[in-house]
Amino acid sequence: MELNARVPAGPLAEKWDNHRFANKLVNPANRRKYRAIVVGTGLAGASAAATLAEQGYQVQVFCIQDSPRRAHSIAAQGGINAAKSYQNDGDSVFRLFYDTIKGGDFRAREANVYRLAQVSNEIIDQCVAQGVPFAREYGGTLANRSFGGAQVSRTFYARGQTGQQLLLGAYGALSRQIKAGRVAMFTRREMMDVVLVDGRARGITSRNIITGEMESHVADVVILATGGYGNVYFLSTNAMASNVTAAWRAYRCGAGFANPSFVQIHPTCIPVHGDYQSKLTLMSESLRNDGRVWVPKNQGDLRKPADIPEAERDYYLENKYPSFGNLVPRDVASRNAKEQCDLGKGVGSTGLAVYLDFADAISRDGRETIFKKYGNLFQMYEKITDSNPMVEPMMIYPAVHYTMGGLWVDYDLMTTIPGLFAIGECNFSDHGANRLGASALMQGLADGYFIIATAVANYLGTNKLEQINEHAAPFLDSRRGCEDRIARLLKNSGGGPAGKCTVDEIHKELGRLMWDNCGMARNATDLQAALEELPKIGKKFWDHVYIPGNTREINQSLERAGRVADFLEFAEIMIRDALTREESCGCHLREESQTEEGEAKRDDANYSHVSVWEHGGDGAPKLHKEPLSFEFVTPSQRSYK
Amino acid sequence: MSSSINLTLKIWRQPHSDALGSLETYTLDHISTDMSFLEMLDVLNEKLTKEGKDPVAFDHDCREGICGMCGAIVDGVAHGPEKEVTLCQLHMRHFKSGDTLVIEPFRSRAFPIKKDLLIDRSALDRIIQSGGYVSVNTGGTPDGNSIPIPAKQAELAMDAAACIGCGACVASCPNGAAMLFTSAKISQLALLPQGQVEGKERALAMVAQMDSEGFGNCTNARECEAVCPKGISIRNIARLNREYLTAVLSEG
Amino acid sequence: MWFVRFVTSSIGKKLVMAATGLLLFLFLLTHAAGNATIFMSSAVFQDYADELHSHPLIVLVFSSALLAVLLVHIGVGLYLFYENRAVSNNRYVVSKRVVKNSLASATMPYTGLFVLLFLVIHIFGFTFSPKDVPISSTVRDMLSNFFYALFYITAFIALTFHLSHGLWSMLQTFGVNHPRYELFIARLSLVLPLFFFLIFGGIAFYFMTGLGANY
Repeated sequence: MELNARVPAGPLAEKWDNHRFANKLVNPANRRKYRAIVVGTGLAGASAAATLAEQGYQVQVFCIQDSPRRAHSIAAQGGINAAKSYQNDGDSVFRLFYDTIKGGDFRAREANVYRLAQVSNEIIDQCVAQGVPFAREYGGTLANRSFGGAQVSRTFYARGQTGQQLLLGAYGALSRQIKAGRVAMFTRREMMDVVLVDGRARGITSRNIITGEMESHVADVVILATGGYGNVYFLSTNAMASNVTAAWRAYRCGAGFANPSFVQIHPTCIPVHGDYQSKLTLMSESLRNDGRVWVPKNQGDLRKPADIPEAERDYYLENKYPSFGNLVPRDVASRNAKEQCDLGKGVGSTGLAVYLDFADAISRDGRETIFKKYGNLFQMYEKITDSNPMVEPMMIYPAVHYTMGGLWVDYDLMTTIPGLFAIGECNFSDHGANRLGASALMQGLADGYFIIATAVANYLGTNKLEQINEHAAPFLDSRRGCEDRIARLLKNSGGGPAGKCTVDEIHKELGRLMWDNCGMARNATDLQAALEELPKIGKKFWDHVYIPGNTREINQSLERAGRVADFLEFAEIMIRDALTREESCGCHLREESQTEEGEAKRDDANYSHVSVWEHGGDGAPKLHKEPLSFEFVTPSQRSYK
Repeated sequence: MSSSINLTLKIWRQPHSDALGSLETYTLDHISTDMSFLEMLDVLNEKLTKEGKDPVAFDHDCREGICGMCGAIVDGVAHGPEKEVTLCQLHMRHFKSGDTLVIEPFRSRAFPIKKDLLIDRSALDRIIQSGGYVSVNTGGTPDGNSIPIPAKQAELAMDAAACIGCGACVASCPNGAAMLFTSAKISQLALLPQGQVEGKERALAMVAQMDSEGFGNCTNARECEAVCPKGISIRNIARLNREYLTAVLSEG
Repeated sequence: MWFVRFVTSSIGKKLVMAATGLLLFLFLLTHAAGNATIFMSSAVFQDYADELHSHPLIVLVFSSALLAVLLVHIGVGLYLFYENRAVSNNRYVVSKRVVKNSLASATMPYTGLFVLLFLVIHIFGFTFSPKDVPISSTVRDMLSNFFYALFYITAFIALTFHLSHGLWSMLQTFGVNHPRYELFIARLSLVLPLFFFLIFGGIAFYFMTGLGANY
């Protein structure tokens, strides 16, 4: 596998311009002759599809839900960053670039991140023009807030529904192209396979979720915008249908998968409260501005929080990190919460939670002030847990939130398979080992609105593609392969469910294995054990899973089974990736790599690279490395003491 | 505090679009009151699966009340008895042990049932496709601050834009009208200078599309507003009426 | 043609209902004002009636226009009723109205039809009453019949219901809905129908109970 990032030459600030000039173009009159497939309609997918169609390409768009408007980008709350510097507080493109690359713990490519910061401003203009109702100041200008510990106010927002509003903007643009006839929209489709012809991506095989039919779609380029794989942990803040299948199918066809173990774990989520639980809900990080995190000093203290005297409370973040206290970064907060719970000091019925207490803030600022600040969050919390944070402390616990890893892409967002592009969360490109708050929306839209079109034009302009149709052998083979796989999934289902297990049972088992061994803090022993345990779960799945119904109808169990089967395979490279990265960086603590004070220790000498995994057929996956060099910034160690 | 309840469920089962459906009765014991309604259905489906029966098909995705995918009529009310929540945010603590819940899909002439509680709401997408956007291409847009927008105006637009397209308004309208849905998008864009440019064409096109999809006529019964999980006001319908009237008188 | 497209659209039909409803409401105002003279004395009432009928052309144009408006209101209303029934019939095994006080809006077609029935009887009884009998006598004679008056009062109750939703609905359809005026409009659409009820119902009550026996 050759990893040529094709980063353009020249000074950092000129790379993107140089690149756009060097890229080949497609004559406007010729564009309608080309077909692009876009899989996924989140921020990246919808914006890419709309932009390509506006430029004249024929676009086929696929989504798993009943409408493109429902992709999980819709759930993003906080906001979107841009280097507009409207607040005159010293922000700049370079500062946004620097913050992003530093936030990612120096595990991302400089040129990509700089480009992201460059196009961030255009995104805001674009969205405003689309009628996205961003928050405004009384004078009518756009409002900004500081988000996720940033020292400048560069986050644009639309209440707590920024993702929704940006997505509806992109969905509108996509809808306009559907109306114009340049986009063919396929809803309720699951992508099952990428079809390669002569080593190039030339289409996909998809399954119609309503009829169960396998369909072939032919194109000149295939763009995956299929999001992250957080659901490998079963419980995450991701939507239920979020999955790794599309990316994993691409990997199996030869696309490199980069940094699969880079997963962001958000510290302030509502804790798990039962094994029936299907999903974790994120509470805004802003709560830590006024809430104090604590656990009882003694293990197994089952008293009500109000009955635990001050002297028997351990405000562990404040004690351990005096200068940052409760405002330490996400990964530090998450890791410490898990550590306290592992010590048996967790609270709540499961012992997997810590308190976030507003009592001091309430007595300092008054009930009214605190309620005004956090009232809507408190209500949301109360709706779910039936407990009022104004009266008793909130309980929180970390949850899987975002995956920085993804398909490896070059500067043009093309994977190692020619003609196959990956955009948004499903690629690995911009966030390194940790993502800053309000940067996911920025990246999705940057890729879709402003980067992918020139990349596609360059690919089409430099490659001569033959005419093919869906009757060509590779398409037939792919369809047959997908049908076979479904038949294998259903093979245990004759003779009823007795003595068999359900898809969810296996998924939960996988999730526990991953959470326990490949979560926030990792060590070689546990990872090794997980690597040995994993094939057993896989075998149990293939030998014993019971899936009711058949394939020619709506069969939601079958849909889930297919996804879990891919998660089971995918988990292997996640664990392997975690195992080979013997350093702590970004979101993860590698227990063997700590400073004397027990803090994360990055190892730039040995791990300043992107780990890229190549499918090894029946053998083990192969690891390749793309070295990261820092010409324009100097990697520094984080410290929050 | 969490406790557990026992329920009888009567759920609409319909194998596919063309089949006849009927209510099937299930009993479900030891349901934790901390569960969401959809988690309760998950538990039912696990149970049905283990009994070798066909699980209930229902749409759901984000499970935090924003994607608009879930929804059903619970005891005659869209998204159940709680105000301003979607089905995924409705928790079982709002029910009592021994309750019988009748669960039916969102119904409208424009929403064909695909299976059980799972329906086809693509008619709503087609309404948006007919004009629910600002016709700008990517790139070349003016600076975001070039047109000031009064904060209040932006807030009103945001109120309307909060629509999640779940279809509860249609499902609970006595006439199966999609006025609240359509008016929310038209209002959002009519309130913003960017959207006003093609406001008239938009109102005409979207109303025409809405009518052609087979939605009923609005008779101002206000049920839509009462069940909307995002609290979208029928003031938006009033605004749509104004927009439509001026559009018809000057452009139509 | 744009007009046909307009009146056949869902909002168009609604606007037609609202516009004709508004005209009928204005007519009711004048009718109520005229009828209120009954409470003054039979002579004043008779003078009012005579004055009105001394302008046959005005009456003809006015009543033809009124008839046309009424027919449109009824026609479109019935058509909407028919269309909406087709959509809504037996949709759910269990269905519940969430809106409080939804009785008026849910019964619009029925209260409307009842008022129509009343209108037919009313017109036959009064408008086409024998020309040689003074109208004030006709009113007294007919409404002195207990059941006839009771029917009138029932019809006015239906009218009150019809208007209580109709007035608000008409304003909503014309796009008049603003937080500042919400309460005012809500009160108005309660007070005005009651006002009509008091005047019209009061007349029926006046004769029915024998209070106006010496009218």
